[in-house]
Amino acid sequence: MTDIETPPSPGDGPLSEGSSESPPTRDGLEPKVAYAPGAGVAARVERSNVWRSMFRHPTIDTPRGRALQSFSNFFLHLYPVKIPKRVLRMRYSFRLGFIVTVLFAILVLTGVYLMFFYTPAVGSAYGDMQQLKTGVGFGQLVRNVHRWSAHLMVLAVVLHLVRTFFAGAYKKPREFNWVIGVVLLMLTLGLSFTGYLLPWDQLSYWAVTVGTNLVHYVPLLGGTIQNVLIGGDQIGQNTLQRFYALHVAVLPVLVVLTVCIHIWRVRKDGFAVERSSVGSPVADASTGTFEEEATTHPAPAVPATAPTHLYGGRTRILGVVDRQSVTAEERAVDDTVFTWPHLLVRHVVVALGVAATVLALGVAFAAPLRGLANPNLTPEPAKAPWYFAGLQELLSHFDPLVAGILVPAGGILALVLLPYIDRNPSTVARRRKVAIVVFSGLFAIAVVLTVIGTFFRGPGWRFVTPWTHWYVEL
Amino acid sequence: MRTTRRELLRRGWKLGGTLLAAAAGWTTYESLRPLASAASGATINLGDPSTYQPETATYISQGRLFVAHTGTELYALSQKCPHLGCRVPFCDSSGRFECPCHGSKYDLGGEWVEGPAPRGMDRYALKVDAGKLIVDTSKVITGPSRGANRFLKPAKGPSCAPKA
Repeated sequence: MTDIETPPSPGDGPLSEGSSESPPTRDGLEPKVAYAPGAGVAARVERSNVWRSMFRHPTIDTPRGRALQSFSNFFLHLYPVKIPKRVLRMRYSFRLGFIVTVLFAILVLTGVYLMFFYTPAVGSAYGDMQQLKTGVGFGQLVRNVHRWSAHLMVLAVVLHLVRTFFAGAYKKPREFNWVIGVVLLMLTLGLSFTGYLLPWDQLSYWAVTVGTNLVHYVPLLGGTIQNVLIGGDQIGQNTLQRFYALHVAVLPVLVVLTVCIHIWRVRKDGFAVERSSVGSPVADASTGTFEEEATTHPAPAVPATAPTHLYGGRTRILGVVDRQSVTAEERAVDDTVFTWPHLLVRHVVVALGVAATVLALGVAFAAPLRGLANPNLTPEPAKAPWYFAGLQELLSHFDPLVAGILVPAGGILALVLLPYIDRNPSTVARRRKVAIVVFSGLFAIAVVLTVIGTFFRGPGWRFVTPWTHWYVEL
Repeated sequence: MRTTRRELLRRGWKLGGTLLAAAAGWTTYESLRPLASAASGATINLGDPSTYQPETATYISQGRLFVAHTGTELYALSQKCPHLGCRVPFCDSSGRFECPCHGSKYDLGGEWVEGPAPRGMDRYALKVDAGKLIVDTSKVITGPSRGANRFLKPAKGPSCAPKA
């Protein structure tokens, strides 16, 4: 992203600030003497050409120094240099998007570890699972953490979507980023579902059998899609190999690519304005939209083609939109803080919290491993993975065309089209009662169906209470 | 209006890209599409038809199917539940096929009796060749619609599904 800041913030110092070896450079962009002084080994290393070829800018504790480091560091460059202060508050987003990213990173790390001990073959997959449990150091723990991270990732993605809806953050100009988020939800479900089969035990075999048979209800193409997906007319070696390839290569690559676009667009589209800012001097209280942050300072002389109302104060040009206007965001001089360290510290804490949580869950609850998959013995009950249990519950009440196709496809389509259908620009809850009531109602139904399908169904899909019989395995 | 060279090239690129995408999609589908030999089974000799007694269902593990004798007709029924693909065992006590997953039940002829299944159990083509019963598992005949009730009788006895 190109950030042009005019004029520079008060207090920005030259890069060589604090150094006595050389005067400041003309524009502060070519620090030559700001590396650590002294004769110690660390200082010598930091001054060496090799070190400087890797890290172009030293750590300088000034605003401009931090900005320069952010620009020149690949990982820090994923973040904006400065962020609005409100983003630091936990309730701004509950860090759900970041939590999903951390869980995905944990899944990649543990998944790569597991790949060293696993062969996607019907004859050996189950044995590999047993070997992982008994013959590989920390093998069972890593598998447990992988499993729990997968479940939590699905949960966190759904909560992220719900939070985004209630905050109204899918509205203009973030419509397409919401759509990308829905795509990420689908990819997450795909990742979890394809991984479900890999242990090749009774639980995975029959859960995937039930799950893939849902596809069969797609009109006309259902049978063909199912056959291509599982590589035959029943789950077997082809299925295992296909799911493995999807699980470890195709879907992760797609997720990484889509997440990059998702995060990039968060920066490009700007951070969502929360409702509390409606009281700002320039807020449009009738709508509660992002225009709340526009200022009404008198405009200086600006290019005739530019939106003049934006040039009164401190302006960050974020990008140029083809033929339309300059996309800009204006805020008061002191409403931003540096991402590093303010946000990064919080992210590190959240990441550690997430890691500790999945580790604790992994220690406390082992990933299930039933008997070897047996196509001739259906366990009672055979349930789809919990995130499809609501669909399975629906299928026991309605015609398959309705429950298997119209409802899920309609749900996905409605989510994709939501920001384009909901034209109400307000993000304030009391001004969008219809949207909130409809969404809450549908979401509550989905949750109730999922809970019933997961916890309250037993053999023959009869109603059971979980406190009398427990037929749940995650 | 005359088409400019630039416009022609632009259209050419679009057409070429579309064709390339279609070709990529088709080849991907062809690669992933299971071959007939992998997707379906073989022809199985089931022996002398008279060995199958009336009002019984005999499991043939080789073909993952049941040979059901309704008293008047013989059927080769796929063990796969048409609801969501679970294996449907035959319950001797009730004289019906009972799916353990979602409670669908079928009579001896594989016709739907109750439960969420959309139709009766699928069948395979059967024929008698030189006195032998031959089933072709590559030829799946979609199960009868709900309400066929040609072989429906009251259950002989209690259901096999365990009490929850």
